[in-house]
Amino acid sequence: MKSSTYFLLAVAFCLLLAVPASYANETVLIEDDLGRSINIGSPSERVVFTMENALKTYYAVGDPDNVVALKDDKWMRRLMEDVFPVVDPNFEDKILINITGDQLGLESLAKVDPDLVVLWASSPDDPNILAINDTLKVPVFAIYVTSLDDVYRQVDTMGIISGNTDRASEVKEIMEGYVELTTNVTDQIQESDRPGVFWMWTDIYGTAGVDSGINDLIDMAGGNNVMKLAEEEAQNLEHPVINQETLIKLNPDVIYMWYNEDLDPEDIINGEDFQGLRDINAVKNRRVYEISNPYLFDAFSPRMPLALLHVARDLHPDKFQDVDMNQTIDQYNVDIWGVHYPSMVKA
Amino acid sequence: MAPERITGRSLLYYLFLSLPLFAFFSSIFIGPFHINPVQLVDLMASKILGYATDYPDVYSTVIFQVRLPRLLLGMMVGASLSVSGAAFQGIFRNPLVSPYILGLSSGAAFGAALSLAFLPGVSIQYAAFFFSLLAVALTYFMATTNRSTPIVSLVLAGVIVSAVFDSLLAVIQIAVSERALQSIVFWIMGSLGTASWSKIYGAFPLFALGCTVMLLLRWRLNVLALGDEEARSVGLNPEKYKIIFIVSASLAASSAVAVAGIIGLVGLVVPHMLRMIFGPDHRTLIPLSLTFGASFLIVVDDFARAGLGFEVPVGVITTLVGAPLFAYLLRTTRSGGWE
Repeated sequence: MKSSTYFLLAVAFCLLLAVPASYANETVLIEDDLGRSINIGSPSERVVFTMENALKTYYAVGDPDNVVALKDDKWMRRLMEDVFPVVDPNFEDKILINITGDQLGLESLAKVDPDLVVLWASSPDDPNILAINDTLKVPVFAIYVTSLDDVYRQVDTMGIISGNTDRASEVKEIMEGYVELTTNVTDQIQESDRPGVFWMWTDIYGTAGVDSGINDLIDMAGGNNVMKLAEEEAQNLEHPVINQETLIKLNPDVIYMWYNEDLDPEDIINGEDFQGLRDINAVKNRRVYEISNPYLFDAFSPRMPLALLHVARDLHPDKFQDVDMNQTIDQYNVDIWGVHYPSMVKA
Repeated sequence: MAPERITGRSLLYYLFLSLPLFAFFSSIFIGPFHINPVQLVDLMASKILGYATDYPDVYSTVIFQVRLPRLLLGMMVGASLSVSGAAFQGIFRNPLVSPYILGLSSGAAFGAALSLAFLPGVSIQYAAFFFSLLAVALTYFMATTNRSTPIVSLVLAGVIVSAVFDSLLAVIQIAVSERALQSIVFWIMGSLGTASWSKIYGAFPLFALGCTVMLLLRWRLNVLALGDEEARSVGLNPEKYKIIFIVSASLAASSAVAVAGIIGLVGLVVPHMLRMIFGPDHRTLIPLSLTFGASFLIVVDDFARAGLGFEVPVGVITTLVGAPLFAYLLRTTRSGGWE
């Protein structure tokens, strides 16, 4: 062989080595949110998503063509009005996996021939995980987000699944930058100036325990979760349900409601069924707020920095007077998904 | 009717009749928000006698807006379920009967779920009440043939109607979001945690109507419990009184279920306990079910609201407390008090 041939072969070999990790299709061992080790292709090229917040993360990082199917869930379908169809032109044509109760349809899953299924599960013995492993022999990645660190970890994970770890690092940096917009202000707030916050889930007296992602969010937003003052057996639950009298005893300065179709802050302040709350600080000072848009301010997706800013502005309006929320939301959506909000025009 | 001679049993009878007073005045002092008992008594007296006190406003709110409505609602619900249970057991001549035998609880659960999932503008309370009565009406009409409503047909129709509403409930549970599903499950477990004066005002008229009718006509249950033929032989129209008791018991139980969800075992166990202690005579059983049922539920609810740092659905505790108590009485009495 001529020396020029050796040279060309050497160059080709070097080029092969120089291909970024994000383009190499290899099998990697990763750990899901339940600590299960699974082997997946990186990138995985036929991924099924059965939960929308992980899908949001994936779309911020990976190639939308690798998403082959979604869960047939009307809750998730409502998000079609959101950024998804803009980020993924084929979004509305994705195959739907039928679901009965919490049970995914195995036949419809088999039909799409996935190489990875991403689903929500709180236990390795989740019936969907066991059924998919036993029948289809397809790797299942379990998502279980309980803290804000889990949200960042999810970005890393989606980087591995999509084979696009560089973009995942970039997304994390963007998120951290926006989080700092809030925490640079709230970190300076003295303990005595931090309002006690009662987080009100849709079951009204169901709240966020001290070991929850919402507790982290309240802390970062410059508040204090009042459940820190509750009885030990209650504060350690992830979703404790208390009663009116306990809430009066905790006397929060702020009640923060998760989006509730049946209830508005005004109902808590003046409603006939909530007369028992009239002497707590939050009601007396009319400091009852609500997450106005559960999709836009989802704390367990890449939109967590927006949720954080939303809460922080309500807790400390004087400290965030200069923040133009609409502009921030628009710019954030451009930075993460390349889409303007709310116009949904591609940036 | 109360026994005439003052015996140990008659003393016990009067003690059980006065139980709600003891239960109420001990429960009013119990709660997660600590108020000094002396201050609490002073505050209550000030409200009754109309003099002023200088305690923080929050004390008054806790006692009169939170604790008092919850206790009163608990008493009302406990009394309704127990009296209805006793009446149904008498009509059906069956110890396994509870107020939910005619599909009432399944109808209520379906109504509540429908409201929580798809009809946010419709009150859960009204939806549960409407569908609970609808279920009972369907059961009754399904069981009635040739102007006669045999007990066996009623029980079987109740099973069928319950199954239909349970299936419809399952369809809703499949279709709703996780959060709505959680609310439905919590409602079904039964709780007094959302007690308010408006709920009491809404439920009281039907509770009072249903219980008053059952109290006034209670001796007829003794005749109905003998069977239709025997009832006719003493000149009582069993069909007419069956309808009266079913409507009254259903009104009382539906008003309870609508405001507190499905609280299990009270309507089954309380009449049984009383029957084991006082015998099967409905003249004593019905008033005692009213008072003991009211007391039983608020004492159990004391633990649900103040026993742990978080709210435990009272239906869970009624079962945990009621079952062993029931088992003990069952083992220490003959034929469960039916003889």
